[in-house]
Amino acid sequence: MLRFIVRRIVIIIPMLFVVVSLTWALVRLAPGNFYSGEKKIAPAVEANLREKYGLDKPWYVQYGKVLRNIGRFDFGTSLRYEGQSVNQILLRALPVSAALGFTAYLLALIVGITMGTLAALKQNSWLDSSSMVIAMLGISIPNFVLGPLLVLLFSLTLFWFPPALWNGFLSKSIVLPAITLSAIYVAYIARLTRSGMLEVLRSDYIRTARAKGLSEWQVVTRHALRGGLLPVISFSGPALAFLITGTVVVEKIFALPGLGNYFINACFNRDEPLILGIVAFIAISVLVFNLLVDISYAVIDPRIKY
Amino acid sequence: MPEFDDQTKPRVSDTELHVGPEYAVAERDVSEIVSGEVEVGTSLWRDAWRRLVRNRLAALGMMIVIVIALACLVGPTLIEKASGHPYDFIPRDASLTKAFPPFRTAGGQFSWQHPMGTDTAGRDILARVLSGGQISLMVALIATIVSLLIGVTYGATAGYIGGRLDDLMMRIVDVLYSLPYVIIVIVLLALLPAKTPFGQIIELFIALGAVSWLTMARIVRGQVMSLKNQDFVLAARATGVSTPRIIFRHLIPNALGPVIVYATLTIPTVMLSEAFLSFLGLGVRPPRVSWGSLAAEGAQSLAVYPWLMIFPGVTMALMLFCLNFVGDGLRDALDPQMKKQ
Amino acid sequence: MSAAAARSIFLVGVLSACLLVVGCTASANNETFFGKTDPPRENVLRYVSGSEPESLDPQIPIGQNEARISMALFEGLAEYDPKSSQPIPALAESWEVNKDWSEVLFHLRRDGRFSNGDRITARDFVYTIQRGMTPSVGARYASLAYPIKYAQAFNEGAVFVFDPNTKNYLLERDFADDNSTNPVALSSQPDVISSEYANGNASLANTALHQTMHAPLRLVLPGKDKKRNDLLDKNPKLKAAVAGKQLVPVKADDVGVEAPDDYTLRISLMQPTPYFISMMPHQFFRALHQKTIEKFGSAWTDADKIVTSGPFKLDSWRHYDRIVVVRDPQYWDTAHVHLDKIVFYLLADNVTMLSLYKAGELDVTYNHTVPATWLEVIGHRKDFMDAPEAAIDFYNFNTTAGPTRDVRVRKALNMSLDKKALADWRHVAPLTAMTPNGIFPGYPQPKGDPFDPEQAKKLLAEAGYKDANGNFDPKKFEASEIEMIMNPDANNLPYAEFIQAQWKQNLGATISMRVMENKTFTTAQTNLEYKGISRTGWSADYMDPFTFLSIFYTPKGTNATGWWDPKYVALLDQANRTTDHLERYKLLAQAEQLLLDAQPVIPLTVGTTRLMKKPYVKGVYPNAATLIPWKYAYIERDPSKWDYGMPDMSEPSAVAGG
Repeated sequence: MLRFIVRRIVIIIPMLFVVVSLTWALVRLAPGNFYSGEKKIAPAVEANLREKYGLDKPWYVQYGKVLRNIGRFDFGTSLRYEGQSVNQILLRALPVSAALGFTAYLLALIVGITMGTLAALKQNSWLDSSSMVIAMLGISIPNFVLGPLLVLLFSLTLFWFPPALWNGFLSKSIVLPAITLSAIYVAYIARLTRSGMLEVLRSDYIRTARAKGLSEWQVVTRHALRGGLLPVISFSGPALAFLITGTVVVEKIFALPGLGNYFINACFNRDEPLILGIVAFIAISVLVFNLLVDISYAVIDPRIKY
Repeated sequence: MPEFDDQTKPRVSDTELHVGPEYAVAERDVSEIVSGEVEVGTSLWRDAWRRLVRNRLAALGMMIVIVIALACLVGPTLIEKASGHPYDFIPRDASLTKAFPPFRTAGGQFSWQHPMGTDTAGRDILARVLSGGQISLMVALIATIVSLLIGVTYGATAGYIGGRLDDLMMRIVDVLYSLPYVIIVIVLLALLPAKTPFGQIIELFIALGAVSWLTMARIVRGQVMSLKNQDFVLAARATGVSTPRIIFRHLIPNALGPVIVYATLTIPTVMLSEAFLSFLGLGVRPPRVSWGSLAAEGAQSLAVYPWLMIFPGVTMALMLFCLNFVGDGLRDALDPQMKKQ
Repeated sequence: MSAAAARSIFLVGVLSACLLVVGCTASANNETFFGKTDPPRENVLRYVSGSEPESLDPQIPIGQNEARISMALFEGLAEYDPKSSQPIPALAESWEVNKDWSEVLFHLRRDGRFSNGDRITARDFVYTIQRGMTPSVGARYASLAYPIKYAQAFNEGAVFVFDPNTKNYLLERDFADDNSTNPVALSSQPDVISSEYANGNASLANTALHQTMHAPLRLVLPGKDKKRNDLLDKNPKLKAAVAGKQLVPVKADDVGVEAPDDYTLRISLMQPTPYFISMMPHQFFRALHQKTIEKFGSAWTDADKIVTSGPFKLDSWRHYDRIVVVRDPQYWDTAHVHLDKIVFYLLADNVTMLSLYKAGELDVTYNHTVPATWLEVIGHRKDFMDAPEAAIDFYNFNTTAGPTRDVRVRKALNMSLDKKALADWRHVAPLTAMTPNGIFPGYPQPKGDPFDPEQAKKLLAEAGYKDANGNFDPKKFEASEIEMIMNPDANNLPYAEFIQAQWKQNLGATISMRVMENKTFTTAQTNLEYKGISRTGWSADYMDPFTFLSIFYTPKGTNATGWWDPKYVALLDQANRTTDHLERYKLLAQAEQLLLDAQPVIPLTVGTTRLMKKPYVKGVYPNAATLIPWKYAYIERDPSKWDYGMPDMSEPSAVAGG
């Protein structure tokens, strides 16, 4: 197990280099610059800008700088936002996205697992099929349709929640974005839980538990959930990391100052240091989360040995 | 957003876990394989089909999917013949170039002309939704086929050959998986030359298919890994069948079950991805429309003209809904464990 | 399973049907205003400035979103009049221009102060302009100051040529006929510069810089060796003259701006620039605090370090969220500033803004935030502001490739477009010329081509797309060689679809369109890598017709058509040398007519402001530049004094002193 973990950690570094290099190449190849726009600037001004940001150096020199930056995990200052370093931006955008993502996923876990477990326990009943239908709705309705619908109903008609902007983690402004973001995860988690639980509930040791006279609640929570939630856990790894990309639409609709918003704007602005910084961060998150998930998988299911 | 197959067990790197159902391989199949003919067990598929049809929900879903797909295929042409205008026709009369609610026309009177209303340029929404469906379905279908072709080949090869090559191939998959999807697509869509609107759609196929093959490869690899030590493969190897032939004619047909299920579930995911891209301005570009771009356009005016988003949104949701049920049904039909019920 | 499933599907179906019915009986609100109209409890105005600013430094970024914030934080020699956007005195009490428009004098007020209490003097403006032109700063709008003598040379890192023997600099006029240093013909500098001002000016010191300014124009060569040597190689006479001389870099102190005393600013101009004063309110020229910038470098705009010169100072900057500014008690006119606080929300999405506005969380939006598609529902409301703007929408032709090389094709495409229908459909005004109509009083705007599809077809037939009888044959017209490209902004697509339909109906030609990603689009447009037509727009940098006509002053850069005519440039130069206001307008109009005859563009529409403003917000006017001087804004709490509809913009605002 330890060797497995060490191996996985060691691999993270070269993977990171590859990911960042590939992204850098893609950004370089894309047409346009961070200063190109509809209002054209004079050629001399453009030359000054290129010199100021080191864009006039040959590509291998610039690439070398990028590699060194990965090592220090400091990608310099944003090209678009004068004087703000990439790490500064990451530090202040991350809590917002993390809070949003965490809340959304927690909500999805609670609602999804409950729905899925009940559906599995009462298989083929009215409860089962309506839960699955609702879950299916979650997958079928795009979040940029759901979000405005929620805003229309709860913000502009009922005036219960603000239609946009971030007023902090524990404020009303997190409700609608979290619901919008969690919808699709509720759906997947409910379905995964249901199918996982169905399989587990058929197995021998559950029959034994029931035969021993344990209440249904004890059977479920103490025995079935452990195995039944395996697919949910394996789903959680990449899901959590990609929640960041997934929040792009939600942050755009609700104008939240999170990583997703920064990232999409950085892409459109060709803000190379910021793109690289966020990509590196996402890459590390994905790799670390995958590792954590694989570890937790082994913890939960003793049959699995690394 | 990347696709998730909610039935796959996790990819566990160093251990081989059985993934997916096993297939009963009849003696007849083995002898046929050994003799060089290959025939996928027909009795298995016929069984599966029967189970699928008996599943009312999946059957209903299939019917709706077919109805909508047919409507999208022939609808625009029929409407054009009936009304005399193509779907993107903008009336010259300024009093008609505005958004009318369904079944209404200028002055608020009832009219059969626009059952779904018009958009702000006076274009009929029904015609646009059906035309959009053509593009959405075509994009989803072809992107899925692209991802199928690439993913199946890649995964099967990695799974069968195993060892170092498998490690390397899966590492590549991991790296690609952690690349930011949006930026790949931006660059792909910016770099690949598109001389015609048709070319733009091809780009989209490649861009979408290029990301969805990753999970497909993983699934197929898992399947192949659990199959490759089975007797019929060992027999084939013993009789000297070449590796590519083993992969393509023995392993892949037997791994097809989850592949089909996953493919059916990829279609809605790709459709959603395309819609998301349209929302960002990178997806299908005018004059072509897709459900995603229509819904994104409509979301802009949701507070004032709700039907602009509701109709394409509901149509797309309905399609995705039914496709997911069909996929579920397929999975149930092909999963022998459910047979025990 | 089927019964239960059927029941649940039925339920969902019923719910959706309800949604549909509710949604489709569209909300036909006939309310006067859009959403809640309760004034905020505090004396605060909540505004949307636009997307996150690149920087709060007024000289670095180039966007409107940053400009709106700079208007609160910094003040310049002049300010925009809240109604007419013409320059009115601010930190400069008055100004005067000499007889031949080569020098401008600003007389500063003596009580101007920075937010930290330091006095604002003319030297601060010298610093501001010098710093803005410094190459390493990378100010995007540096070109605005190019009319100042040697400013462009300094910004480009150019050099003078000094002869150590004669102790003289080489002069431009000795090599003028070679046109070597500038592809655009430099207007000839008069040898003797008038010292005559309206009220004389003998008391000002005749400094060394002043003498240099009055000396003939020095020769300027590129600073980069390669570029300079290329130039010299092309010009043997120049090369011979330069050989053996010293190359002296142009310094900040060589730029034609100086402070002969603490409260007088003297600017020397490269050539007569009658619109120079109207550029002074631009954020590029607003007063900066030298010590702060020199001490902190690019971090000087942090909330704990920044020192500002305007009616408000920075309170906090929550990135991607909001910027809060509060009243600056050090500001010289703070007694007449009404608001205590302004909150700038950093949003760029129109629908989000309008949702916030409707929910009562926003008081005013900026221009163009109401989508044209909402006009049916919003257009009649009393808080919708729709005034003409000094902004135009037009299509560029690529005049270097394809069928659009032929001016007849261009004119035909222009003439077969019913711009009035387009404008009516979008509730804006049509544009037939290059400058927006009605914005510049007294300007004799040329008419441009009328809507005449028959004439268009004749022109196309003349251009060769004809059948046996000599009539226009749509099948011969290579419509596939023309396409319309645009970026994904919300309005571009509907316009293009409408226009495409027009051409289809009027000419029988289907011209395709392509929406490209933002930066990809600007690159393609700048490099002329497109066939046919690209969509663009222009909003005025200052209130003078020249800001629109100057788009085509250079062959590249702002000019993305590939068309360039030295006669056009000569006319513009001649106009700018004319000191009589109306004479100048006539010459500008002639240049505009020349442009319209060559038809490198299809003028489409004049912009309108289309913004929302709560009725209790007063002192904020939808002016043509849509830049709001914040000191005049206030919240009116007496509903009888609220604005029902557009506020009256006709009378000049009582400005001097508030």
